[in-house]
Amino acid sequence: MKAFQQNLKQLEAADTQVLGVSMDSPFANKAFADQIGVTFPLLSDWGGDVTRQYGIYVDKYKAARRINFLIGKDGKILEEQIDRDAIDPKKIVDACERRKLSR
Amino acid sequence: MKRNCVSTMLGVWLLTAAMVCPQVHAQGDKAQANKPEPVPLKLNVGDVAPDFKLHYFDGSDLKEVSLSQYRGKSNVVLAFYIFAFTGG
Repeated sequence: MKAFQQNLKQLEAADTQVLGVSMDSPFANKAFADQIGVTFPLLSDWGGDVTRQYGIYVDKYKAARRINFLIGKDGKILEEQIDRDAIDPKKIVDACERRKLSR
Repeated sequence: MKRNCVSTMLGVWLLTAAMVCPQVHAQGDKAQANKPEPVPLKLNVGDVAPDFKLHYFDGSDLKEVSLSQYRGKSNVVLAFYIFAFTGG
């Protein structure tokens, strides 16, 4: 999440809203956001319905996989980053910048 | 005669090596192929992302956020993470 915070200005300049999602409670997520200095919303998928809907619930951990989705203005998925690749958001930042330039 | 024998032995050894090596190599490839592949995602690039309504706490209130509120306005990065208070 910190990595997204570091790139937040670039992403916002490219018309992109960042939303973190986990199965923690809203209050745990707020405390987490404050601790790491994240200013974008960390959404609480308490119970995991959305995590399951997106097909990324992991039984073994009773939690979501580490995944980034970039969703376009038309609601379609433009990019995906999975597991370890999802820690560095460069691919997503680059994709946003490319789209900004191509407009 | 002795020299002849040595070269025959060498020949046999080389032949055996030539036969065994590709097998060893193939086994290596197979072991690599058996490495666990990352499980593919249910949603792929080009799919419509399912809408949702979720909440976050802004310090005083619970705020509702839906994916559809950004439709036509901005791109959205959905960053699913495993647990709060962990890295990544």
